[in-house]
Amino acid sequence: MNALEVKELKKVYPEFTLDKVSFCVQQGHISGLIGRNGAGKSTTIKGILRLINAEGRVSAFGKDFLKEEMAVKQMIGYVGGGFRYYPMNTLVAIRKAYAPFYPTWNQSKYEKFLSQFELIESKKVKELSEGMKVKFALALALSHGAKLLIMDEPTSGLDPLSREEFCDIILQLVREEGVSVLFSTHITSDLMRIADDIVYISQGKILAACPLKELLDQYKLAHFSSLADATAANAIGVKSVKEGYEGLLPHDTQRLNGVTFADATIDNIIVHLEKANEEKRYAESD
Amino acid sequence: MLNLIKKEIALCLHPTAFIFLAFAALVFVPNYPYEVIFFFSCLSVFFCCMMTRENGDISFSCALPVKKEHIPLAKILVTIGLQCIILLLVGIIGAVKGAVLPAEQYVNQAGISANLALVGNGAILLGVFNLIFFPRYFKSPDKIGVPFVIGAIVVFLLIGVFIVLRWVTPLYSITLNGLNSVNTGAKAAALIIGMAIYAIMSTISCKLSMRRLQEYDT
Repeated sequence: MNALEVKELKKVYPEFTLDKVSFCVQQGHISGLIGRNGAGKSTTIKGILRLINAEGRVSAFGKDFLKEEMAVKQMIGYVGGGFRYYPMNTLVAIRKAYAPFYPTWNQSKYEKFLSQFELIESKKVKELSEGMKVKFALALALSHGAKLLIMDEPTSGLDPLSREEFCDIILQLVREEGVSVLFSTHITSDLMRIADDIVYISQGKILAACPLKELLDQYKLAHFSSLADATAANAIGVKSVKEGYEGLLPHDTQRLNGVTFADATIDNIIVHLEKANEEKRYAESD
Repeated sequence: MLNLIKKEIALCLHPTAFIFLAFAALVFVPNYPYEVIFFFSCLSVFFCCMMTRENGDISFSCALPVKKEHIPLAKILVTIGLQCIILLLVGIIGAVKGAVLPAEQYVNQAGISANLALVGNGAILLGVFNLIFFPRYFKSPDKIGVPFVIGAIVVFLLIGVFIVLRWVTPLYSITLNGLNSVNTGAKAAALIIGMAIYAIMSTISCKLSMRRLQEYDT
């Protein structure tokens, strides 16, 4: 049974369409939802949580979100990019208002997280650093026994050390608590560290939903000395770089004269696939 | 629902929601349009909704294990609680004024006396405000100004109507004016009619607001 199944999630805005997005998050896995700004990551997460009215089916641990909304929400911990709520209230006031919604609330677990994250409950939200806000959101989400964490760009605005710490916490949670995680980000180095699977979204459409390794194994980065070489090799998303041109080639491409290869990173894959898509759209519009 | 109401009281109530309750004592001010007291209650709703927006409360609440349509219901129920308190306070303090300063009850040049009929008028004002404000507010909870301005204009127009009625109709200037102990039946009827209108309007407001928030993308 998957921790999360999203089937044909669709949301139409005047200027953007989330187009029948489908993917799964396996139990005990960390899935990274990636894509450029405006690709539809936040819309997907809001659609999953029914914060927006979207078409399509969402189920968590086999339970349909619409039919069993309360039960599903009890199993989900949502972290919407830190904790942007109630800046003038103390953490204790928020916890007191939040905890009664969850019959499974575990106060001793919450206190354990507070101490692990070095959070002081008498502080106001506005007095917390961005990293501390993310930790507070995590403490709330995990203390009611959430089995699935859904996070919308939780590492945005965090410094490298805080991001490292965040990744360590998530890894520990997956290993020790067995939680499953879906988190959106455009900081791909975080994904390289902790993600098992990747859901790559572009222009509201899923371009890839597979294990991270599988995505990385699909392409290699090729460096060409001229644009003609790149075009001749059918490179994907060719772009000019400091010395020559770069593009993606299928991983099984044989050695080519004058072409140097390197392992493609997620950044490389996103940049060149987006470039290829852009060119395709431009050609279609012409 | 109870948890949502508790959260609403703990995290979303602006201090003016309580401070403006004390304005019920304005019934002791001579020559004052006492219906204005109820406008302060409307103003506190505006401040609470501002606080809701600044706190990101709607988004926070939507992610909780609650039905989305229960969010406006909880907010309106808390408002109704506060409005009932101000109605009760105006009724009680008005009765105290009637007992302590009975002559004063007949010399209000700016409107009706502080009696049961005033509470009925107040209930109508608050019911109309609820009906105008909340469904518009929950259509887009980020935009509070326009729903409030429309609500406030209608409330002040109604206050004007009540003041005019006080001077041009015998019903308001004689029967419903003055001490509670005089024409008690008529004043009680005005109160009951006012409360019934309040209940009907607030119920419609609730239903519309629940539907509107359901359609809103947070």
